[in-house]
Amino acid sequence: MNASEGEGGEEATGSGHDAFGEQQREALRRAVRLEWITIAWMSVTVVLVALVAGQSQAMRAAWAEDVLSLLPPIAFLVAARRIRKRPDRRHPYGFHRSIGVAHLVAAIALLTMGGYLAIDSVMTLVTVERPPIGLTVLFGHAIWTGWLMVAVMVVTSIGPVVLGRKKLALSETLHDKVLFADADMGKADWSTAVATIAGVIGVGSGLWWADATAALLVSLSILRDGVRNLRGSIGGLTDGEARTYDESAPHPLTRRIEERAEAESWVDEASARVRDEGHVFHAEVFVVPVAGAEPTLEGIAALRDRIDELDWKVHDVVIAPVPELPPRQTFRSTLRTRPDARP
Amino acid sequence: MSDPRVLRALLVSVAATLLLVGCQGGLPADPQGTLVRATGGVLRVGVSENPPWTELASDGTVGGSEVELLTDYAETIDAEVEWVPAGENTLAAMMREGQLDVVVGGLASDVPWTSEIATTRPYTTTIGPDGAEVKIAVGVRPGENALMTDIERFLAERGEEL
Repeated sequence: MNASEGEGGEEATGSGHDAFGEQQREALRRAVRLEWITIAWMSVTVVLVALVAGQSQAMRAAWAEDVLSLLPPIAFLVAARRIRKRPDRRHPYGFHRSIGVAHLVAAIALLTMGGYLAIDSVMTLVTVERPPIGLTVLFGHAIWTGWLMVAVMVVTSIGPVVLGRKKLALSETLHDKVLFADADMGKADWSTAVATIAGVIGVGSGLWWADATAALLVSLSILRDGVRNLRGSIGGLTDGEARTYDESAPHPLTRRIEERAEAESWVDEASARVRDEGHVFHAEVFVVPVAGAEPTLEGIAALRDRIDELDWKVHDVVIAPVPELPPRQTFRSTLRTRPDARP
Repeated sequence: MSDPRVLRALLVSVAATLLLVGCQGGLPADPQGTLVRATGGVLRVGVSENPPWTELASDGTVGGSEVELLTDYAETIDAEVEWVPAGENTLAAMMREGQLDVVVGGLASDVPWTSEIATTRPYTTTIGPDGAEVKIAVGVRPGENALMTDIERFLAERGEEL
């Protein structure tokens, strides 16, 4: 869209950054900083865990999980850089979808992590592998390696917990599903640490199956998160109905857009097709004019601007006047058929 | 893990385990109780011939530096040593069946029998045929962590690491 075609035309197709309000810009800055801290913290964790892991299956699994948990922050940082670019002829819809791709990467990381951990634990249990955990000599003192593992797990799990909570809050402000998945994973990392500690101490008490059982419990919950995020990210990338940042419900903005359109005196009925482009929404609003009324260019442009002002997430609005809505109404939001889904 | 109840349950189980351990005293323990059984009793040691670590005489007696090592260790827990000379793969199979407690024979710390034999931390090094450094360790029944740490402590003290 060209700037000369109407007011607000430029911001409708600007870069992801242009869409943000001051609150979102600040949130994005903080999120980028948090993700850099996450990468630094996890890198140290990976080295520390590798040093004490030895022959413990649970510790090796925890290490693999730590390596994988580097993926979402990297995906987020790459995507955050991509969305700064403005749309061009080769990318007429802009670069917001980078967020969707990053979300897919994060989901697959969760799924791989959960699957690896689950298979590994089951194998350990089935083949009755008793983890040997011996002695470490540290500065001339002999210490059971299990205690070192516990110490490392306690220290390294502080980061994901603190960072995860901060990222969770930002992911709602930014409507950022990558950040949400990453924060979710941070929490998974914490419970992995707790389970690993329980497992190591269990092994120390002579219960050889303790760490594999603990790891299995954690892996099931990670798998569940992975499946949910995979469905969410594929839904977004395949133009599914826009949903809230945590995938829990259809996004209420779709209904608000329709209600705003129906509030116009010349509009009889309206239905919006809204998709999540990553941070921002693209909306196609089909409007049926009141019988006898002729939609004017001014009226359409004014409606477009009013819908644009509803929320910063409404980023690219197309108003399409139609004589009637299709009888099958396939693009009507599920919010209409499921009023209970509204928050 | 979005369900806080699961997390709480895990935390409680950790706390309970810690408490339990605190009451018993002494980590780690053996799943099969090997160290307790061998103390004041019999320690079953498999010997794979590999001079100078282990040597088999024609009359069936065993010798070598690791045989001396294990004899000295057995004294610290007041145990008799039952020597079982055989090939490495036979010893691994016996270990799997629970017929042995320890295996010696100049084992490299990265032995291929990881599910049958757990190695202690290396107590010395030698040079392999390819000129690379080989770390030498003692083989223990996997998971018998009380026995393993006890032997490791003995080896570390003997090597004046402690």
